[in-house]
Amino acid sequence: MTPTRTIIPPTSIVKTMSPGDHAGTANPLRVLWRAFATIWSVPKARIGVAMLGVFVLVAIFAPLLAPYAATDNSFGRSEDMSAAHWLGTTAAGQDVLSQLIYGARVSVFVGFVAGLLSTIIAVLIGLSWGYLRGFAGEVINFIVNLFLVIPALPLMIVIAAYLQNGGIGMIVLVVVITGWAWGARVLRSQTQSLRSRDFVTAAIFSGESPSRIVFREILPNMTSLIVGSFFGASTAAILAEAGLEFLGLGDSTTVSWGTMLFWAQNSNALLTGQWVLLFAPGLCISLLATSMSLINFGVDGLSNPRLREGAKR
Amino acid sequence: MSLVSVQGLFVVYEPQGALPVPAVRNVSFDLEQGDFVGLVGESGSGKSTLGFALTGLSKPPARVSAGSILFDGVDIAGMTPAQLRVQRHGGFAMVLQSGMNALNPVRSIRDHFFDIFTAHGHVSKRDREARAIELVGKVELPASVLDRFSGELSGGMRQRVSIALALSLEPRLMVFDEPTTALDVLVQHAVMDTIRELQKSEKFTAVLISHDLGMVLEVTERVMVMHDGLVVEDALAAEILAAPQHPYTRMLLSHYGDPRAAVVEVPGLAARGGDRATDVAVAAAGNAPVTVTGDTLDTLEPVAAPAAPPASTVRRREGRAAREAIVVTNVSKIYQRPSRGEEPVCAVNNVSFTLEPGASMALVGASGSGKSTIAKLITGVERPTSGSITFGDLQIDTIKRRQLKRLHTEVQMVFQDPYAALNPLHTVEYILTRPILNFSRLRGRDARARVLELLETVGLTPVEQFAARLPHQLSGGQRQRVVIARALASDPQVIIADEPVSMLDVSLRAGVLALLDSLRETWGVSMLYITHDLLSARLVTDQIMVLNSGAVVEEGRTADVLQNPQDEYTIRLLEAIPHPTVGGLVQS
Repeated sequence: MTPTRTIIPPTSIVKTMSPGDHAGTANPLRVLWRAFATIWSVPKARIGVAMLGVFVLVAIFAPLLAPYAATDNSFGRSEDMSAAHWLGTTAAGQDVLSQLIYGARVSVFVGFVAGLLSTIIAVLIGLSWGYLRGFAGEVINFIVNLFLVIPALPLMIVIAAYLQNGGIGMIVLVVVITGWAWGARVLRSQTQSLRSRDFVTAAIFSGESPSRIVFREILPNMTSLIVGSFFGASTAAILAEAGLEFLGLGDSTTVSWGTMLFWAQNSNALLTGQWVLLFAPGLCISLLATSMSLINFGVDGLSNPRLREGAKR
Repeated sequence: MSLVSVQGLFVVYEPQGALPVPAVRNVSFDLEQGDFVGLVGESGSGKSTLGFALTGLSKPPARVSAGSILFDGVDIAGMTPAQLRVQRHGGFAMVLQSGMNALNPVRSIRDHFFDIFTAHGHVSKRDREARAIELVGKVELPASVLDRFSGELSGGMRQRVSIALALSLEPRLMVFDEPTTALDVLVQHAVMDTIRELQKSEKFTAVLISHDLGMVLEVTERVMVMHDGLVVEDALAAEILAAPQHPYTRMLLSHYGDPRAAVVEVPGLAARGGDRATDVAVAAAGNAPVTVTGDTLDTLEPVAAPAAPPASTVRRREGRAAREAIVVTNVSKIYQRPSRGEEPVCAVNNVSFTLEPGASMALVGASGSGKSTIAKLITGVERPTSGSITFGDLQIDTIKRRQLKRLHTEVQMVFQDPYAALNPLHTVEYILTRPILNFSRLRGRDARARVLELLETVGLTPVEQFAARLPHQLSGGQRQRVVIARALASDPQVIIADEPVSMLDVSLRAGVLALLDSLRETWGVSMLYITHDLLSARLVTDQIMVLNSGAVVEEGRTADVLQNPQDEYTIRLLEAIPHPTVGGLVQS
């Protein structure tokens, strides 16, 4: 199975290589820690990590940060910005700032869960596809090409329309179904290039089984690519989630940036001069997506040291 | 005034987030117009770093930290890239080891020349074609190559094109960085001859950077030996050959020998003459036809250890000497080209031989001779088009995937490139534990004990420390020992060594070869040694087969074949070897 690694606080990782240390493999935690340090060393990625961190913290501590409950509609309707309501209220009488803060939860959740799930599927399919030859490979090739060739948004709309108002779970499902193929294709080509390396042949000579070769010998050598494809998939998931909800295909009673846009559009917020209703969630969506993309600049440096910024002095 | 004058040059590598490493330390020398100087050293000696500095190509993290490089009286160490670019015309040029990969695959060779002419504007539009033809003529290529693309040219031709490109700016200093290392042995020789001729006719100053002291001594007039960033010896080639002063130079020189000599000796390895007990034993058995498929197990006892074995850590293995022979009968392998219309390639053509238990056989030939394909066929990685290969009761040519594991317990492989053969993310212990778990019943504490035993066998002590290391914490020679230890982990009867020392420095080669040799003698494994290097073949094998385009052209006892080659191809292979001690003086 794919190891789904969790990030452990750095204190438990900083440990030097001692002669008596005979762990079976290079400690994955140390590898992750070094990866994080590399990403952090790239200024753009540092900004991305900070932005993402803010969004995650806001999502976690939303009940503490938000001035009101997100669904509390006891306020005046379509109010302008004021001291009580920094970003005004919606046409239904809810506090916009509170909605914005609670809305971060959905976007961050969908981003991480859908990104993670589609990355896992991409890893499983991409790696076995890259390692297999012959008929099985052709079958997978056909399926992946099918998913790549169908335009994603219409497919998403069709699937979402069938799974009427299923809520966040449905959106995650739709995003995962339409989002894994690209990553699988990238991971497959990397697997194909790694499988011809001597150490893979050597593993065959050591009597290793194919699954062990794929997941213990090849997979750890593409960590950076997998991390990169995770952030890519998360970005796509966040945008897709907002897009689906804006089109009214999600559950319009949940509070998220996408539904905020949906309701703002429905109540003609621009005509009433409440541009903040459209602007604020839109800005948040693009900032969250930007933070992921910025982190990917650092991930580039992981896989190819020459891309590390500042290397040119 | 000298053309180039280097004074107190220091070059440091300053990688991000790591301590700076000095690569060139306090190097001073002068080069006169028309000098041909060799720069020799092992990997990491700083020779390429110095070459890059000489041609103003030092790139971060490398930095010239002190000293000056005066080229025709101008210091190039402190020049900006723009100033350097102007200097390159009539100044200095460099030919790289991978220069043949430096050509743009979608542009014709003519475009490459015209690009340079355009950039420097020193050739008028009318004369371009003539000048390009003249340049490729200088490197002994026909004018028709100008229409070709790099993919259509062989490695040797591409390297010649990159030399011609470097010549196009009429440089007064040419730096050749391992110009022939990536080429085939026979081609190497021809390209080197071209470089030598060019240097004579064009009268540029040339610096030849190489790890191969033998070749450098053969072609250059003056040699600088680098070790650890310092130039430890700087003398005329003849002087170095006659009376090397520095112990490091002497060590490098001692690793050259003539495979044709009656007795060949290299430090760390027992001498190989015609009088050894092993040779006699093999000679006796070797008189019987070697290629027969019949069971000749009884005719050859596992080779007895010499009377006084070299000091080695290899312990005799109890009752596990090789028992079964690999019998190859009329094997051919034909590769179909993926595109239609092209002729299929016959990589192996009707080859038959028997690798007797406990014997050591060399398989030699230039690249493309099919020697590595034979290794793949024997290990079941590929299947022959026709013919049969057996090992004991295993029919290797039609082996099933399930039986492959059984084959690999008995037949193991040592890979050419120790840097690619170890997964960079696994520790030595993990790498060695896997075959033990897969092939034996040892578990836990016993398996670990076996890992440490293997490490001791290949001479990586203290074993506990090496077990915990990652591949990047090991040197090339140590990595190759780990690769050998992994091959031994399943306790095999046969080891197939595919160019096991070609990627290693000269000083490390003898150690790895001695290890392989003692493994065979004390453990009783049979060895198929695949190489293009006839000297090492002479040192560790008793029998030899010479392959040319897939077919066996000569076979017999190693000493006999190399001292008395019959086939023209074998003679050409032997002549391609640099002989600093014997042939070099005769030729020059």
